[in-house]
This record gives sequence, C-alpha cells and structure tokens, in this order.
Amino acid sequence: MTNAEARILDGLNESQRVAVTAADGPLMVVAGPGTGKTLTIVRRIAYLIHQGIRPEHILAVTFTNRAAQEMRERTVTLPGKDAAKAFIGTFHMMGLQIVRDNTPHDFVICTRSDQVDLLRAILKDKAHGRKANETAETISRIKNFLEDGDEETRAVYDQYQAALLENNAFDLDDLILKPIGMLRDASILQGYRDRFRYIIVDEYQDINPAQYRLLRLFAGDSGNICVVGDADQAIYAFRGADVTNFLNFENDFQGAGRITLSHNYRSTATIVNASDMMIQNNARRIARTVCPVREGGAPITVASVPDERAEAALVVSEIEARIGGTSHYWLMNEPHRQDYPDSAYSFSDFAVIYRTNAQAEIIKEVFRASGIPFQVIGSRRLSEERTFSDSIETLKGRAANIDKEKLEKAFSMEELIRRALNELGVEDDNLLCRLLMSIIPSNDASTVQNFNDAMKMVRLLLPSDDFDPKADSVALMTLHMAKGLEFKVVFIAGTEDGLIPYLRDGHDDAEEERRLFYVGMTRAKEELFLLHARSRFLYGKKTNPQPSPFVREIPGAFTRTITVPDKAKKRHQKQMKLF
Amino acid sequence: MLYKLSMRFIADLHIHSSYSRATSKDMVPEALWKWAQIKGITVAGTGDFTHPAWLTELNEKTEPTGDGLLRLKREFEADDIPASCRADVFFVLSSEISTIYSKNGRTRKVHSVIFVPQISDALKLNLALSKIGNLNADGRPILGLDAKELLRIVLDACPQALFVPAHVWTPHFSVLGAVSGFDSLEECFEDLTPRIRAIETGLSSDPAMNWRLSALDRLTLVSNSDAHSPAKMGREANILDADISYESIKKAIETGDGFLGTIEFFPEEGKYHYDGHRACGVNLAPGETIKNDYLCPACGKKVTVGVLHRVEKLADRAHGFKPDGAKPFHSLIPLPEIIAETHGTGVASKKVEREYLKLIYELGNEFRILMDAPLPDIERAGSPLIREAISRVRDGKVNIVPGFDGEYGKIRIFEVEERKQIKGQTMLF
Ligand SMILES: [Zn+2]
Ligand SMILES: [Zn+2]
Repeated sequence: MTNAEARILDGLNESQRVAVTAADGPLMVVAGPGTGKTLTIVRRIAYLIHQGIRPEHILAVTFTNRAAQEMRERTVTLPGKDAAKAFIGTFHMMGLQIVRDNTPHDFVICTRSDQVDLLRAILKDKAHGRKANETAETISRIKNFLEDGDEETRAVYDQYQAALLENNAFDLDDLILKPIGMLRDASILQGYRDRFRYIIVDEYQDINPAQYRLLRLFAGDSGNICVVGDADQAIYAFRGADVTNFLNFENDFQGAGRITLSHNYRSTATIVNASDMMIQNNARRIARTVCPVREGGAPITVASVPDERAEAALVVSEIEARIGGTSHYWLMNEPHRQDYPDSAYSFSDFAVIYRTNAQAEIIKEVFRASGIPFQVIGSRRLSEERTFSDSIETLKGRAANIDKEKLEKAFSMEELIRRALNELGVEDDNLLCRLLMSIIPSNDASTVQNFNDAMKMVRLLLPSDDFDPKADSVALMTLHMAKGLEFKVVFIAGTEDGLIPYLRDGHDDAEEERRLFYVGMTRAKEELFLLHARSRFLYGKKTNPQPSPFVREIPGAFTRTITVPDKAKKRHQKQMKLF
Repeated sequence: MLYKLSMRFIADLHIHSSYSRATSKDMVPEALWKWAQIKGITVAGTGDFTHPAWLTELNEKTEPTGDGLLRLKREFEADDIPASCRADVFFVLSSEISTIYSKNGRTRKVHSVIFVPQISDALKLNLALSKIGNLNADGRPILGLDAKELLRIVLDACPQALFVPAHVWTPHFSVLGAVSGFDSLEECFEDLTPRIRAIETGLSSDPAMNWRLSALDRLTLVSNSDAHSPAKMGREANILDADISYESIKKAIETGDGFLGTIEFFPEEGKYHYDGHRACGVNLAPGETIKNDYLCPACGKKVTVGVLHRVEKLADRAHGFKPDGAKPFHSLIPLPEIIAETHGTGVASKKVEREYLKLIYELGNEFRILMDAPLPDIERAGSPLIREAISRVRDGKVNIVPGFDGEYGKIRIFEVEERKQIKGQTMLF
C-alpha cells in the first residue's frame, strides 16, 4: 500500500473501507445516523482520484449547500491532485451548470417569492397571495413529480412558463427539469456521460422523481453510481421525495452492491439503541443493525411540563445548569449549582428542535428574556432576528437595480461579492460574504465569473443555510432543518400527539413522521430531552395534548421521567433600597 | 476646554444602568449625576452602552464635552443637590460584556469592561456585536464568543477603546476566576495579551493581594464599584491626577502615569473572599478548604473556592510583598454601613438615612468625609461614635467576618461593650 493510499484509508472501519474501495458499478451504501457518511464519501472521492480517475470525471451531489461545502472542504485536504476539480455541489448547482452550458444567452433565476409575484399577476390575486402561493406549490409539485397536472392548473402553468420565458428566467425546479429536456439530445447526453463517469449521491433517500430521472440519464443502466443514504431519514415526501427510490435501488441498477455502515460514532449507546427501537416500528425500511461505538450514556429525559412557557423555561434552565449559570443571580439559586462542575459546554452545543415554526415564538421569547444567545434557522417569516435569509432577501430585492459595471472590475470572487454587497447597501457584509464564499466552489472559476453568476448562486441558497456554525449560540429549528446537524444536548419540544406525529387536515403520514422524530433524536451526542406540555396554546386554541405515541415506543429502560408541577403563585420579591 | 488643567479627581468607571438585569430602576443618567456628587465622583462610567435603549437615553440626556467624555444636559440637572456636594460630573462611555465559551476543554466565563470615547464608536461596536448576540436582553450582554475575539473585535471597531478584564478574581465570571477562568492572562488572550494594560481587582481582592503575582506587575490595578443601584456607586474607585479627558484617563490607566491609586473595599467584605458553601453556612479559610479536600463538611458538595484561595494558588510571592512602583490604596467602608454599625442596625433604617444626609449636608461628599474631613468636624456633624468609627476605618482597625460563596462579609468596628462604653463616655460630658 502506498503512503497516499494509507492516508486515504486511515481510521476507517471495515465497512467504510469496503465502501471507499468498492470497484466500478452501482453501489448502495446504507448509512444510518452518525456512521461516518460524509467521511466515507470524501474518502471515496480521494480513493477514485488515487486510482487514476481524473477529478473532472467525478460528480458528487447532495441536497444542501452546507453539506456540499463540508464535502468540498474535506476533499481538498486529502491526497489527490486537483481534487478541487471534482464537481461537488447540490442538485441545483449541477442543474444550473447544465442549463448554463446549453443556453446561448444569459438568464436569471427566480426564487419562490419571485414565482409568487408572477403568479399573483397571472391570477390577478390581489389579496394575501394565498392562491398564488398554493399555485406555486402545485406547479413545483408538477415539476418535481414530472406530472401533467389537471386542466385548470395546466392553463395557469402554461401562462406561468410563458411569463418566465418572457423574463428570460428559470425557477429553481427548472434547474432540474430543463436539463432533463436538454439531455434528450443524444450527443449532449453523451457529453455529460463522458464527463461525469463517477457519480456519488448523498442523501439518496430524499431524491424526487425529477432528480431521479436526471441521475438515471447520467448513469445509464449500469453506470458507476454510488448512492449513500438512510431510508429511516427520508423526510421530504411532501416535496415529492419518495423513499421508494431508495428501497428500489437494487432492482433499478442491476448487479448493485450493498454495504451497510452500522457503527454509530456520534451518540451514546442509550440514544442509539432507544432511537433504533423506536424506528423499528416502521414497515417501509431496509432492516439494518446499529452498533453504538460509545458505551452507556445518560438516560433520555422525558419531561412533562405544565405548558409551552414552562417547556421553554425548562430548556433554558437545563442549558444554564450545564453552562454553570450565566449570571450571579442564577448562582444564588442553590438547587442547580455545581451540577456540572468540570463541564466544557458552549452555547453551540445545544439545540432546541420542534415540529412547527408556530412553536418557536414562545421559545424565542423565553430565550430573549434569558439573554442566552440563540439563532433561529430557516424561519424567515417568523423571525425578527436578522438571519441569513433576511439578508439574502434584501440582496435579491435590490439586485435588480445594481450598477453591474462597477463590479465587473473586481479581482477576486471575494472582492466581487464584497463590492456587490456594498453596492446593495447590505449591512452585514461579513456574514453574508462568508456564506457566499462558502457555497461557491472555490476553484471552479467556470461556475462564477461575474456578478450575474454570483447572483444565480445566491438564489440557490436555502433556508437551512441560515445555520451559521461559527456563531456560538443555541440553535432553534424545526425537525426538517435539523437534518445533518449534531449537538451535544438536544431538546425536542412538543413531543405531543398532534405535533409529533403532526396532524394535518385530519390525516398524517405516521411513518414519515416517525422518521422525522428519528432524525431529531439522532442529532443528540450526549443528552436528549423529550418535552411535552400538558396544556398548549396552538393555532388560537388551548389544547390538552397527550404525549407523543412515538415516545411511548421507546423502551422505559432508556428513559427517565421528570414532571414539572403546575406553577404555584409567585411571591413578590421586595427590593432592598437605601434612600 | 475649561477642564484641560490637570487635577486630582475620583473616577468610578464600571457601573450598570437600569437596563441591566437585577439593577435598580433608579439607575438613570440624572441619578448617576446626582449620586456621583454625593459620593464625590468626578468621572463615572455610563455602563451598558451596548444596550440600544440606554445608548439612546444617553444620547438624549447628555452632550459631548469635546474631550471624549459626556456631561448631563442642563435641563436634566436637578436642583436638590446639597450645596456642600455640588460639583461637575463627567461620564465616560463604558459597558461590560459577558463572554461564555469553551476553550481548552472547559467552559469559560469572562467579564470585560470596555471604554470608548464617542457615541459613534459605541454604535460601531454595537453593530459588530449585534451580529454575534442579542444586545437587547441585558445591559450586560452575554455573547458566545472567545474573550480574545471580543478584544480583537473591540480594537478593530475602535482603536482608541480601552479594554479591562473585570473583577478578575471572581470565581464564576472572570479571567482568573477559580471556576471558569484561566491560570494566566496569556492563556486567555494569547498574542493579544500585551493589549491588556489594566485589570479590575474586584471587591474581594485588594492591590496587596494582587502584588503577590509578578505576572501582574506590568498592569495598572483599577477598582470600580460595579454598582447596580445609585447608593452603591463609589464603593470602590480610582484616584487620578490628569486632565478631564478620555485620552488622559486612558493614558493614566494604561501607563500608571497620573494614576494615583485606588479606593478599596476591605477585601474580606467582598462576596467571594473566603471559600465555602452558602446553603450550609460553611465559611472556610483556604487552608481549611484544602484540609476538607474542597468538600463542604456539612453536605459533601464541592465548596466554592474564593478569591483569597485562588490568589494564593497562583501567587509566586510571599504574603506582604510590595513591588516597586506599586500604587497606594485606601481601604474604606461605605459611610452608610459605618453609621449603621454605630447604631447596631441595618443600613436600610431611617436613622441611618437621617444621619447620612446630615453629615453630607454639613461636611460635603462621602469620600471627603471618609478620607479627608477632620475628626472633630465629623464628631460635631455626627457623633463621637461616628468619629471613632471613621477613625478606626482610616486606621484599618476593623473586624470583618469574611464573605464567602456569594455572601458579603460582615463588618464589626465595635464590640457591643465598646459601643456602650463610648456612648457612656459621651454621656458624661
Ligand atoms: Zn461583571
Ligand atoms: Zn454544604
């Protein structure tokens, strides 16, 4: 074994090593939470390059900019000449590349809010834009599912497409749909098949029919496609992602190999085993064994609290306890002190996760009052805290009026972005600049050459990109946003029937909801809290929810229960005062 | 321009406004102005400039002097200040920031006081910090940020800023504290350590304790009240001989040139002087703590290690060492506490208030009474008991049960018998 090869295989366990070194042909890697999925992908890229594959022939796609960025950063630190030339990006980035390659003129990308504006004009929807929003959703579905849509929708769809054409614009879904059309040309298709000879797909369980079609075209029938994923973490059925694609991979691609990564390095044995017992109640999954590497662990705390305010207060006080108090006043409160004397926590070690954005308001209120720094991820609509999304919206809004010529003279991408932000009058340029730099493939000069290109990239940003891993603050987010993240201590708020599983219009998809809860549980490395309120004000109504049935699926041996009693009336504290 | 001439004055540079947690609603600019005069403070920190609402209030009620300080606008000046105390008061923009983060395998909680010359500097710094945390929740905001990074951000935003680690020995919230601090400034600030030119000693330590660490010789030891209510202002303070300008004050603090010394609490009176466990009423000297293996003899929990213990642990010099060029300091007890002691009552009593007001109306501000007023004058305006008490405080002849684990120390200037005796003597005349 050469030195470089030893480095590439260093520290891998047996199944990871098999996945990294597997020969040509279709391969499915079943990778549960914390099993070293990204590590395996990154090492596989390095290994392919080491085997003499040219980096330009490698395509690695994933779903979030965050994941793509991490993969890129980790790839370039490994041995392998020109590893940065591999295409590592999101589906949208890949689609954008193909559309650019095959569109003779420049174009713009419109975001969901642009879409809604267009549709409002088409539908003459002057009210809240509710109809336009729903139609945007339907059109998106048609494009993702490759459906035809009913007659009424079809009429609007055609007008909408005409409007896009007139504006020289593509929407985000077009970035997948258009390439499928473009690849009907056999010579174009052959061009991409020659270019992307090795395909790696991350989070394959979340793939939708349009993305599937596109990959299928690239890979041919028995191409070198390696898909990595976990059926138990498929949580995007509502966006057209069907776990079926994952379950069917081996039928789809004949002769496909399958490797299961079963060693969980992230969480304590308690969390690994408890979440595994819970998810085994799903029928549509690939049975797999999990094997916690870390032993023992504190029991999962199931907490019953009087109401949503008490729920948030309990979260704050547990964080305070681990930090060791954020003020002298807290320390004067005897019961909690010295519980964690030799701790090494910082605020970014904690996350509060909930099912719906509606739950976030009270949690934010209690956090705001506590003074503990926090960031809310992906809820533009609700947050008054400025998030990346806000800045991005500002940027998008003002981009139309920018003096582009001033920007074209920039020397580097970073300078270009800085100038663009300056020109736009966006205040938090450092934050946004850092973000933009991070999503743009650094060595791929062909993707971004001018301001227009930069703006196209900005439009690919997702709500999940709100998460700033460099901000040392407690993360507040929905279960959907939590995917791919990990924290020492995780609080799942509102583990109540009706919220988890979430009951919409009287029906729920229990298996999807169970997977969502599984994703939440498996974010925790050290400690997990499952909180439920005995009384909750939700959607304008007071409710008395029951604990989530999923919590009851966790064997009692893994949990401990605490009950916060209904609050007694507070005694008023007299302030001592001189003069 | 009028105040360019160098003069001797007292400065209390670290206080909190009503926008900080658990502070008195009375901490407003007018009250700071009033109480500064009663106490004898010429330059007071504004506190809390990181809080947008407080900064707005300051901007509304004060005006720049042109020398990097602020003064209260005329229309906000009250006219009920005792004539004996009336004096000019200046403010310097100050704020305390709590950084909480993990470094080298432990949770660190470090408080720092920051000074800037202009409201525009404060705004600039606030803009930078608002990207990191929420400045609205507390006048002393909590940031998930390495203290060294904070120092860097402060110096980037305002090169004229002065950055002083706060109450450096408090166990829970300071750079050298036993629970979540470091063993040296270098461990915390690394290559930026030279930018730290002064530290705040806090209520539970005095300069003499700090002299035992040779690593601190290059630093100016400053003292401030950290007051949360107006009456607590000036319980510790600095004596300067400089121009009344931001630049001169900063230079005096950074170089020691023009820094005459400090006014101190008796360190035993501070909340964390000794070790112990408040819930069990267990108060331990450092030696006893070691003997008990750092556990509370009553309940077995870990005791809170206080400042004296921590200083002894990090000290490289014997007790009583005094480095060359060390600044003198005065150990004082706040006048209301002295008066209360003469009556054997609490400070909040009406009797104490009456007597306090009488003394300042007749003799002038509190610092004058505590440090300079001739004893016969004090006896005339107050009582022989107060005269004797102040005389003993000036001579350092007081008994204090040391504070521990968040509980203030208890002062005893007189034994009960003594108090009767002195009272009795005066009856004879
Ligand atoms: Zn402090
Ligand atoms: Zn005890």
